Parts: sequence; structure tokens; C-alpha cells
Amino acid sequence: MKMKTWIYSAMAVVVSCGSASSFAQSGERVAVFTKNQTNPFFQAFRLGADSAAKQMNAQVIHYVPTKPDSIPEQMSQVEDVIVKKPNAIVFTPVDYKALVPAVSKMNAAKIPVVNATDRSESGNFVAFVGASDYKLGLETGNTLVRALNGKGNLVIIEGVKGTLTNSDRVRGFNDAIKQAPGIKILASQPGNYQRLQALQVMENLLQSHPQLDGVLAANDAMASGAIEALEGANRKALVIGINGTKEAVDAIKAGKLLATGDYNGFLQGCIAMMTAIRDLRKLPIQKEVIFPAMVIDKSNYQPFDTPVESRSCPKWEDAIKS
Amino acid sequence: MSDSLRPSAINSQQGPAALWGALPDSMQSVALRLAALAILCLLLSLASEAFFTTSNILNVLRQAALLFLLASGLTLVILTAGLDLSVGANVALSACLAATLIKGTGSIAIGVVAGLSSGLLIGIANGLLITWVRIPPFIATYGMLWILHGITYWFMKGETIHGFPPAFRAIGSGYWLGIPVPVYLMGVFLLIGLVFAQRTRWGQEIYAVGANPEAARLSGVPVKSRLVLVYAVSGAMAGLASLIFLARLNSAEGDIGESLTLPAIAAVLIGGTSLFGGVGSMLGTLIGALILTLVLNGMNLLAINANWQPVVTGVIVVLAVFFDNLTRKGDKR
Repeated sequence: MKMKTWIYSAMAVVVSCGSASSFAQSGERVAVFTKNQTNPFFQAFRLGADSAAKQMNAQVIHYVPTKPDSIPEQMSQVEDVIVKKPNAIVFTPVDYKALVPAVSKMNAAKIPVVNATDRSESGNFVAFVGASDYKLGLETGNTLVRALNGKGNLVIIEGVKGTLTNSDRVRGFNDAIKQAPGIKILASQPGNYQRLQALQVMENLLQSHPQLDGVLAANDAMASGAIEALEGANRKALVIGINGTKEAVDAIKAGKLLATGDYNGFLQGCIAMMTAIRDLRKLPIQKEVIFPAMVIDKSNYQPFDTPVESRSCPKWEDAIKS
Repeated sequence: MSDSLRPSAINSQQGPAALWGALPDSMQSVALRLAALAILCLLLSLASEAFFTTSNILNVLRQAALLFLLASGLTLVILTAGLDLSVGANVALSACLAATLIKGTGSIAIGVVAGLSSGLLIGIANGLLITWVRIPPFIATYGMLWILHGITYWFMKGETIHGFPPAFRAIGSGYWLGIPVPVYLMGVFLLIGLVFAQRTRWGQEIYAVGANPEAARLSGVPVKSRLVLVYAVSGAMAGLASLIFLARLNSAEGDIGESLTLPAIAAVLIGGTSLFGGVGSMLGTLIGALILTLVLNGMNLLAINANWQPVVTGVIVVLAVFFDNLTRKGDKR
């Protein structure tokens, strides 16, 4: 699986370096910016973008900060890319405010930009492609409320305070719970999106709360930390995660995780790339593509059980319809 | 002026106060920390019924074990006036390596050996960079941190490896006679650390290197090889911690190490080991690790927003060093 990714990126390099005339019909060069190499979501996003570019005979060059979510690094990567003048850019800002100057530079260089995943605070964009974190929180929260029949005690394990993704997800969780008067939130503690911290927080909460029926975790890594804590203490509770990772799908299959909210990185990558290329080719696009919040549970996990590497993008028309 | 006051001050002390004054600095420092730990426990027991229960005490000890193991190797490094900023990144790479091998080969032994030796080799590399290439510890291990993160991210490509055999998981989440396995590991390495640091020639030489490297060299201590030794131990402990991490969390991903280094350094400092070298103890580090773990435990039990935990940690570090400065009689470091 690793090997395949390798060959794949090697191919991308060959294509971008060599004379593409025989291979590509149009061969536009698209620079793709993602936030880090550590989050499986962005890995899926990049693979989606690659898949779309391959289908449409365009070339992809990826830019990822070596230090995860580094603002200065992404800034200088943007500056480098502007010098190289790609035909289009797919841009996920590591910080929705701090990268606004970088967006202005891309605009000034007259390179069309598709904003993906995290909405930039300002700037001119061809389109925005993303999902709503609030809806993910709300829908996964509703799933737990329904599974508990509107009654029970639960805890929230939050991500990093002050980040847009976390505040939206937690707001969604809380709004879902507000609709169920029989549900009580015992604690809402930060696990900083980290597995170990979520495990320890959960172990501690289990000490002080003998009756605990559900856990809402703001990402899958923390959900799996919470599951380990529950198993270690021989306790049972329904656990929810967000991100739709392979790990979460495996946990759903094993009956350990109730559900995960899907951010669908692969599809976001597909559509963002397609939008960029279609815009260059003067084909119709949508200014705004917001994926509906999708909840993966034991009834519908099968399609997500295939490794991201072997998925391929849907047709534009099909993807936009859904 | 303070010199002329001192004799009368000692004379006026009586009973327990005189006894306290007769204790060596290192014992005073540990005794003060034990008292602080006891007060913290007392306050938490008053505030929460769930605190002083067998299951919560075992819970706290199990959580402290990982931190202590990392911090114990780091204690030796800091005793030499050095620093190892790469421990967290070392844990991440060693854990990912061990995880890949256990999954790939199905052999627990291969994974365990790989995790431990990867940790050890990284430690030795740090030691050689510092002694033979003469790069200051802060910079050598800081550079190592970046290199290790880079390799780990490249190696993992954003994936998570999860699901290990129960026999392996026992190192992290198993029990023996009702006590979690990591707690035994913590006890064993505390004993080894205490005996090594206080009772062996090598241990004493490490203190000597930290107190005054030039004097140590002149009195025949092989300074360079002792320095390589402490970084090797720190690396090996990171390798061990990586296995416990894997076994406890049942998974590994590229960014697990980033949140481990600073708490481990904090545990050492709260434990009374001086960044200037030559002063400190393993027992102090154990207490430091326990205090840090109790802060999170207490906040969770009392449902105080744990966002304040870093602030509390910072305040405790500063207070601990402040009180050391007040109580240390001789060389004020």
C-alpha cells in the first residue's frame, strides 16, 4: 500500500517534469495546498485531488508544510508557487485568518484559486469546497441522542480550544443535546485532538462518574482513546467520533464505535480539483460546494471500508447532485 | 552580613527546626516535594469523593508511569546540565517503527526489539553529536527532533496503525495481582534509577560532570563517555515509553510525540533537578510526574475546565524552582 503511493507520487513527478504533450491532452498545472502530513483527512484529500487530476489529464504539485499547520511555512510556500505560476491553485489555509495576505498575493498574481476545507476569512476565490463542522457535530450528536433514546449521561471530549473546527463541532454537539431534555452533559473537557490525552481524560472521568452512557469526541483519534479507557475499566458507553477515518470504520465494524461523522476528504479533494480544472476549461462550476454531514455507522460503513488509495473520483455530475 | 547572622540563627533553632537544618539539601528538597504532594492529595480528597479510592490511585499511578519513564532518562541528562528535546519525537518514531513491524511480521519480539533499539540508537546519535561533533545539547537534540518528526511523517504518510495482539497490549493495559503493569515498570525503573544515580560510581560521576565538567575531567572522569551514556539512556527510555504508549493506546500515528517532551521536562524540573546540572534526584522526578498527573486528574474529577492545566503546570514549575532557591544553602543555582 505504501509502495503504491510511492510509485504514484513518482509518476506525478515524472509527469510534471517531462514533456507532457504525448500523455496529457491539456496538462494544466495545479498547485494543491494542504495543512499537514499527519492528519489522515488531508492524505485522503490529496489522493482525491490526484485522482481527479488523473481523470482530467492535469498535473498536480502538492505543497504541505513539513511542520504541521505552520503558518510561516505555508506563507513562503505560497510565495514560491506564485513565482512558478501554476495555472490554478487549490488552497486550504492552515489558518483561516493568518493566510489572508497569502491569498491577496495569489489574487494579485491573477492565479485562479479554489478555497477548500477551511473557509478563508477574505479574498477572491473561484469557489469554496468544504463541509460544515457544525453540521458534523450536530448530526453525530443527533445519532447519539437517538441511540440513547433521548436519555442518559454523557461527556464531550473537545479538540484544541480556539480552533474553528473544534468550536463548530462542539457547538453542533451541544445543539443536538439541547433538543433532548433527558440528556445530561457531565463534563466537557479538552483532549486537544490527541489520543493519549483523551485516554487519560476519559480514565479520570470514569473515576468520578459511575454512570456514563455516551461520549462525543471531536475527532476519531480521541474517540479511540476513549474506547481504550472504557475497555480498560470494563465499562460500556456509546462512543462517537468525527473524520471518517479507516480506524473509525474498523471500530464500527468491531462494534466498538457507534458512529463517525464523515468529512469526506477524498471527495473534497476530487471536487476541489475538478472545480479548478473545469474553471480553467470554461466548463460550468458551482461557486459553493458544501458536503452534507454524513454519519457512518454499522448500517452504511461498507463503501468506506476500501482503502483511500484504491478509491477513484465520481463523475462531476454525480458528485454535484448528491 | 548574612554570614555574621548565621551562627546565632542556628543557635536559636530548636527541635524539629534544627533537625531540618541538619538534613542535606537533596533530602530537604525531596521532603518539601513530598509535603507538597501530600497537601495536594489531601485537598483533592476533600474536594472529590472519587479521588481517594483504590481505583483512582491506581489510575493516577498508571497515567504517571509513561511520564515518569520518559522523565527518568531525562533526569540523568539534565543532571549533566544537558537537555534532550528529542524524547517526544523519539517516542513517535520508535512507536511507529515497532507498530509497523508487529503488524508486518506478526512477531511481538521483533517489534519490541525494534522499538527499544530505535530509541537507544537515537539517544546514542544525540550523545555523539554533543560530545564528538561538539554541538550544544539544546541544538543537537532540537535538530534531532525535526529530523525524527520529518522521518516519521514521511514514513507514516498520515496513516494510523492500530490493533495489536493482546499479549503485547498487556505491557500497557494489563494487570498483575490487581496492579497495572506500567506501575510495576515505573517501580522497577525507579529502583534502578535510584541505585544507579546514588550508589554507583557511574552515577556519581554523572553528578560530578554536571556540577563542574572541568573538575570532573581533571579528577579522571571520562566526561565524554558519561555524556554519551546519559543520552543513550534517555533514548532507550523513550524507546520503552513508545512500547507502553503503543500497548496502552493500541495505535500509533505520526504526531503522537509532540505533546510528550515538555511535560517530561516539567516533571524533572518540578522534581527539583536543576537545569544547571549536578543537583537533583530520581525520587524528585517521580514526585514531579505524580504532581503533574494529579493536576489533570483533579481537574477532570472536579469538572474544572482542563484548559487551565498548562497554566497550573507553569506556575508549579516556577514555584518549585523558586522554593529551591530559597532553601538551598550553598551554591545558589
